[in-house]
Amino acid sequence: MRERGRFGAEMTMSGEVIRLDGVTKNYQAGGPPALDNVHLRVTAGDVLAVMGPSGSGKSTLLNLVAGLDRPTAGQVAIAGRRIDKLSETALARFRARHVGIIFQFFNLLDDLTVEDNVLLPAQLAGASRRQARARADELLERMGITQYRNAYPARMSGGQRQRVAIARALVNSPELLLADEPTGALDTATGQQIAGLLRELNADGQTLVLVTHDRSLAQRFAARTVELVDGQLMSDTAAGVPA
Amino acid sequence: MNRLTSARRWLAAIRTATGGVRRHKLQAVVIGAVLLIATASATLGFALLSASNAPFQHAFTAQRGAHAAVGVDAAKASPAQLAATTHLPGVTAAAGPFGTDTVATALGGQLFGQLTLSGRANPGGPVDDLVLSAGHWASGPGQLVLDGQSAPPGSGGPVLGATVTVTSLRGQPKLTIVGFANSVTSTADGWVTPSEITQLQATAPAANGQGTRHAQVPGAQASTQMLYRFTKAASFSQVRADVATVSRALPSGAVTGTVSWLSAANESTGNGSIMEPFVVAFALIGLIMAVLIVGNVVSGAVVASYQRIGVLKSLGLTPGQVVVAYLGRVGWPALAGALFGVVAGNLLALPVLNDSAGAYGVGRQSVPWWASVAAPLGMLALTGLAAAGPAIRAGRLSAVQAIAAGRAPRAGRGYAAHRLAARLRLPRPLGLGLAAPFARPARTLVGLAAICFGATAVIFAVGLSSSLGRAEQAQNHSASAPVVMQQNVNGPQQQFPSAAQDAAMVAVLRAQPGTAHYVAEYDNQVKVTGLAGNVFARVYGGDAAWIGFGQIAGHWPDGPGQIDVNTAFLTQSGLAIGSPVTVNTGTAQVTARIAGEVFDPGGHPDLFGSAGTLPGMATTENLSQYYVGLKPGTTASAYREAVNRALGTGNAWQAYPPQGGNFYSIASELIGLLSLMVAVAAGLGVLNTVLMTTRDRVHDLGVYKALGMRPRQLLVMVLGWVAGPAVIAGAIAAPAAVALNSATVRAMAGTAHTAIPASFTAVFPPSRLALLALAALVIAVAGAFLPASWAARARPATALRTE
Ligand SMILES: Nc1ncnc2c1ncn2[C@@H]1O[C@H](COP(=O)(O)OP(=O)(O)O)[C@@H](O)[C@H]1O
Ligand SMILES: [Mg+2]
Repeated sequence: MRERGRFGAEMTMSGEVIRLDGVTKNYQAGGPPALDNVHLRVTAGDVLAVMGPSGSGKSTLLNLVAGLDRPTAGQVAIAGRRIDKLSETALARFRARHVGIIFQFFNLLDDLTVEDNVLLPAQLAGASRRQARARADELLERMGITQYRNAYPARMSGGQRQRVAIARALVNSPELLLADEPTGALDTATGQQIAGLLRELNADGQTLVLVTHDRSLAQRFAARTVELVDGQLMSDTAAGVPA
Repeated sequence: MNRLTSARRWLAAIRTATGGVRRHKLQAVVIGAVLLIATASATLGFALLSASNAPFQHAFTAQRGAHAAVGVDAAKASPAQLAATTHLPGVTAAAGPFGTDTVATALGGQLFGQLTLSGRANPGGPVDDLVLSAGHWASGPGQLVLDGQSAPPGSGGPVLGATVTVTSLRGQPKLTIVGFANSVTSTADGWVTPSEITQLQATAPAANGQGTRHAQVPGAQASTQMLYRFTKAASFSQVRADVATVSRALPSGAVTGTVSWLSAANESTGNGSIMEPFVVAFALIGLIMAVLIVGNVVSGAVVASYQRIGVLKSLGLTPGQVVVAYLGRVGWPALAGALFGVVAGNLLALPVLNDSAGAYGVGRQSVPWWASVAAPLGMLALTGLAAAGPAIRAGRLSAVQAIAAGRAPRAGRGYAAHRLAARLRLPRPLGLGLAAPFARPARTLVGLAAICFGATAVIFAVGLSSSLGRAEQAQNHSASAPVVMQQNVNGPQQQFPSAAQDAAMVAVLRAQPGTAHYVAEYDNQVKVTGLAGNVFARVYGGDAAWIGFGQIAGHWPDGPGQIDVNTAFLTQSGLAIGSPVTVNTGTAQVTARIAGEVFDPGGHPDLFGSAGTLPGMATTENLSQYYVGLKPGTTASAYREAVNRALGTGNAWQAYPPQGGNFYSIASELIGLLSLMVAVAAGLGVLNTVLMTTRDRVHDLGVYKALGMRPRQLLVMVLGWVAGPAVIAGAIAAPAAVALNSATVRAMAGTAHTAIPASFTAVFPPSRLALLALAALVIAVAGAFLPASWAARARPATALRTE
């Protein structure tokens, strides 16, 4: 099976982390497509902001890139490997190793402690206990939430929860970090802190796709912004300049 | 009109509001199936309850049955003395004296056995009011009314107009069957006019009693019979005391024997009532499970739609409407399940009841109409109650509470379990699965209970089958004696094989290399002092211990002068192991000692002994069969074929397999079916619980997947939800099933008027029990597998979108 191989070599060769070719997603046959013939390429180390009105297909795009769903037509290649035809098991392996996802509403598991939440993807991927713990400690430290290690998410503030979510998304050191409106449920100040964290991660080389409809957030830290309208890519601008 | 439309309107609104039945097809199927199973077993249980003893009791009351039929020596007690006994304290009614005579008979050239005839001028009377079922009463010389039903013409049995020859009397008088009548306690085998009986009594016996299979019971001639009803006659000992009062009022030795009504009552108890204890046990399990599962479905539905309820209430839905909406959710499937359950219960009951009908002698049995009404109504009522709790809770909930409660389980529950599971060195998905049930303790308990009941039913069924298998073994000895030699049904139409034919057959057995043991069994009725009526004696020509009897107490006779008896013998005689008994075999009277009690169910007293202990029994006429034990490695069927080849076709003897009891095969099929139904219901209960939980947790499941949980890991996690409860359920079910099995086997034995050997209930060696307890895990995994694999296959994006 092809997906078993490590992706790193191919990625450095092409430098392309995301490659979408003619991707269309139809939730209902005959209905309007949620994504319509999208072509997109993202290079390693980039930050891509995806913008657009509500219902324009941003989350759908992110889900396809994350391997959480399959396109109706077109090809999705992540880190040089086609994922649109992978089995559910292979997709799960792919997600565990190569993408980290952050959601608007955090999606932490309420009955697990902060530390157990962060450790979970590593455990599912079969990482060694010691390595997983070391990585989790490092990430908790970096996100500034070491003191909440044994706390439960339900008692934490939104900003703290999103930090836990980021730590959890990074525990397997994925090539790609996907964030779906990560500041959407946070007040402005907290949102800026989270944005700052994400920017730092990018500065350290983390490829990042950021879905948001906060234009200032997009402009402030994304080198490149694409805009979706009714499932179609309407514009693709690099650092405020049309590409 | 207006009200109706508005009611219809709001019902429609509610249906949309709560999701309706159709959107929960699987739950509807689960509810329907569980109700079907519970109703079917309840219907069967009711049918058996009513079938047990009722026909006999009804007939006994209607026919003013005799509590005791007392045989009196006419030479020792005068008619005046007998008339005086009818006024004794405790006697409420009496009839007689009727002259009686016990004679050997033939019908159509075939032996017709020994008949006790009684002289009665008419069938009615204050006691033992006979029911004429065919023909007319004996009104002239040579006329005979037989007890029982006439056989269909051509079957060789007695029919109206047939002639019965009295072979035991000189001149072989002939009697014509003019009628058939039923005596509820069978006070006689036939009736003639009083003058006819006087004449028969006066006739000298035939020169030799040849052709008489049964013993001539001494003192049977010139006797009369008195029939009594007493104020207190509920037990054998009470009847014995009543008869003793009568006996004391008469000259000593006048009373020659008694037949207690309880013997007839015992014999009327058919197989149906023996099965009753376990059918009731299964019906109860099914009932409790139905209540649990229905309650669980409704409360699950309520919990899952708290938010919806809140929204609807804020839009003006009243609490009453909410309750109706949720009751409606279980209504249709429950109704359908109950109706199909009645049909299934009736179908199940037919073979069981028909099998037992023969034993009552009262014709066909059918499921009483009230059972077909009470079972479904009762089940529906219980279902309604089970659903009402959570539905009312939903109705009471305030809109704000409901919206706030949402669908998440209360925070804080199960934290410790998860913490522990995270520390254990378990595969992470398994750990997550094992800890999950703690978040929803109530639902977990219901699932656990369903698994527990299902596993109990399965373990119980296996145990009961073993117990009944041992009982069957003790009765037909098929394991130790897989071959029996019996009179060839296709052989020469002679009455008994001759001594020469017997010897030739034994020579064939000896010549077979596979023969390990063989022993002859002789059967006949004997008289035992202290026991009125006949005792059935099984006498063995040699060592018979190897046949394998179910020893309840004492030991198998191991020396001369010892006999074993069955439980009915001990209860009816009031004797105990070690007591001496005087046995009259018809040709000899001997005193033996009771060495042990063996398993031989039924209300009729039986005794077992050797030919040496009971002289006069080992005759060609009494020889009924040979049991043959085989050497290891010998195939029974091949052995039988070899023996039959050596004997040649048309030999008086032939080798047969031991005949299995019809009761045991019906019982084991029924047990298998009932336990399967309960196990299926349990599996459905688990399926439902897991399904509800996967729906509740669909979002979390999406998160797990987004984090890279593979389908197989998710399957393991979801199966982990039920694994813990299943282990606990198995641990509870195992001892529960053992206790249930013992209680049921005892109850069955009680119905069959027998005690049981300890070995019958000791059917659960620890290793076997441990293995059987795994049934809980099997039920749980089987029930959880479907929803688990659905959850494993679902696309994470869909799950995550439900926010
Ligand atoms: N799982 C789904 N099933 C059906 N329709 C969906 C699903 N997910 C999204 N949609 C539809 O697809 C369109 C795009 O949705 P989405 O990608 O969530 O938009 P955005 O994230 O930009 O708000 C919407 O019309 C939405 O209703
Ligand atoms: Mg979105």
